[in-house]
Amino acid sequence: MAPKPPNARRAPAESWRSSGTRTGTQLIGDILEQVLHGLTLGSMYAMVAAGLALMLGVARLINFAHGEFFMLGAYAFWLAYSELGLPYPLAALLAPAVMVAFGVAYQRTVIRAILPRSWHVQLIATLATSIVLTNLAIIVLGTQPKEVPTALSSRILDVGGFRVAWQRVLVLVAALVVFWALQRFVARTRTGRAMRAMSQNREACAVVGVDVQRVTLVTFALSAALAALAAALVSPLFNIFPDMGTALTLKAFAAVVAGGFGYVNGAIAASFLIGLTEALAGSYVSYAYKDAIAFLIMIAVLLWRPQGLFGRRIGI
Amino acid sequence: MRRLALTLVSLLLAALAAGAWSAGAQAPPIRIGFASAMSGPAAITGEGVRWGATLAVEEINAKGGIMGRKIEAFFADNKAQPGEAVSAVRKLADVDQVDVIIGQTHSGACLGAMPVVKEIGVPMVIEACSHPQIRALSGKGGNEWTFRVALDDEIMAYTFARYMARQGVKSSSVLAMNNDFGRGAAVAYDAAFKKAGISLLSTEFFDPGQPDYRPVLTRLKRATPETILAVILASDGAPFMRQFRELGLTQKIFSRGSLASAEFLHQVRDNPKIGDGVVEASYWVVGLDPDWDKKWTERHKIPPRVHGSLAAITLKWAVVPAIEIALKKHGKADRQTIRAALKEVDVKDSPLGPIKFDDNHQAWINMILLEMRDGQLRILEKLQTSPALLN
Repeated sequence: MAPKPPNARRAPAESWRSSGTRTGTQLIGDILEQVLHGLTLGSMYAMVAAGLALMLGVARLINFAHGEFFMLGAYAFWLAYSELGLPYPLAALLAPAVMVAFGVAYQRTVIRAILPRSWHVQLIATLATSIVLTNLAIIVLGTQPKEVPTALSSRILDVGGFRVAWQRVLVLVAALVVFWALQRFVARTRTGRAMRAMSQNREACAVVGVDVQRVTLVTFALSAALAALAAALVSPLFNIFPDMGTALTLKAFAAVVAGGFGYVNGAIAASFLIGLTEALAGSYVSYAYKDAIAFLIMIAVLLWRPQGLFGRRIGI
Repeated sequence: MRRLALTLVSLLLAALAAGAWSAGAQAPPIRIGFASAMSGPAAITGEGVRWGATLAVEEINAKGGIMGRKIEAFFADNKAQPGEAVSAVRKLADVDQVDVIIGQTHSGACLGAMPVVKEIGVPMVIEACSHPQIRALSGKGGNEWTFRVALDDEIMAYTFARYMARQGVKSSSVLAMNNDFGRGAAVAYDAAFKKAGISLLSTEFFDPGQPDYRPVLTRLKRATPETILAVILASDGAPFMRQFRELGLTQKIFSRGSLASAEFLHQVRDNPKIGDGVVEASYWVVGLDPDWDKKWTERHKIPPRVHGSLAAITLKWAVVPAIEIALKKHGKADRQTIRAALKEVDVKDSPLGPIKFDDNHQAWINMILLEMRDGQLRILEKLQTSPALLN
């Protein structure tokens, strides 16, 4: 008879024993590396969270299917880049264009029907959409993760042993440009100003002649495009798979809450905070519990400032 | 003339009656349940199991079934979770009324399902879960309804650690999935490394489906191990290996799961060299059954997947022989007789090696050491396993 293993042995705790003395330069290099990594993650979260915050601000609705917009955007990018063979810049712009159409269709069908209903109905409907989209992706696109490496994702920038893929640099630069453009759009354009007004008083906007349906439609289209653009930027670094949006929705939602419920700049700042916390906690405390640590910090922020980090009245 | 007509009508009626009797007497199909993760982050395993099982059932039925009895496959989703595995077993046993279950692919799901199969009284043959607790809990004095074809990680860890020591490895870090499979393997390698004289410098866990591994790779870099033992599946392995190369790490990687696999190579087909040098401990690899590889590739246009192939092998080389024994000895193949017959299965030449369950209902199949190089998988060693390996 084969010897039986002991019944109640516990898994070894996550552990780290440094085998050498680390110099200050190495430590700074390490920290810089994690900061850069955190900013990359933060950029991804921020582009998704900004869309979520826009929807919450303008339509007073939490779209729990927003992570699936990111997932569908990633698949649209994969189709354009890997299957159709389009050049990267074109594929990365085509994915948001496709998702604009999807965002419009989603607003016209699901959102228009649930917007006048109670928050319970909205919650169930958007959660149901999320589940349906994930499972549709499993059925239609399969479970095999898709890899979309680009020239930039495999090309490494090496500065004195500090190594980073050029794609990460692109993510950061593109995120900065996107957030600058978003600010300009919201502050300077007629539709942007209508979005800000609606985030303060939807009813009053309707009374003074703002086309609230059109502005809501634009908000959903813009949010979907932002999610898809984020997907097109980070997909060359990661995997694309049907379930990829689920955890992202939670993190983006946490950023929206911590940033001040519907305040776009707050959501963006909180996203970077989550990304940096994850990277630093994952590297210096525990990789397995980095998400838990990030959420604990979010809880602490909300205990300290229940209105969120940058909280004020709802307004984008 | 009238008599002739009457005789013909009688004969015709008799023939029709005989046909109807024969159709009515035709034994019902044997119902076989497959439980795996059909949705959620691990859905790739369940999809593979569905494909593999469907292909194997078609193959068996095309040859006339098992002693004239057709087989029918039923599927249930355990989402790779212990709680969902309970629902999956109940669905298969109570709703689909299956005679035997093959599954549950994931160690946590296996451990969750074991008490329920015992309570219901339905045999479950495990195709892929490698948690050492499963062997401790199965068989004589434990769960008599659970049988395992897959090798467990304790058996594999002892053999693999000895191999690593023979290669001159002095230190290693473990990177494992943060689930029952990964944590079970981490326990096993902790003990096995000690025994083999390899110093374990750090143990890290990660959640499957992580987009980014840079923080954990930095932790591994800081621990400065000579080698890394990665307990990881192909789906996570591709981004992990790309980021490993991006950071410029040079440690030799030993792996458990499906890092060195056709699935991984398919994912990184743009640059298969990123997997160069990885040595994996496994018990299945593409090439063990070329016929199967051909059929799978023709049907699904991608290389055979590990878990789907293991489900098919378990069906063809463990469950089917048990059903044959049950039918020969008892003339029936219900849950009780299949369980009794599984103890008598003695297959010498399955693609995995011999399949014969011991007192702990553990089969001691072959263990394989593979190396990935230039987009190819090469078998380094094929080892016959036995309880003596644990001493």
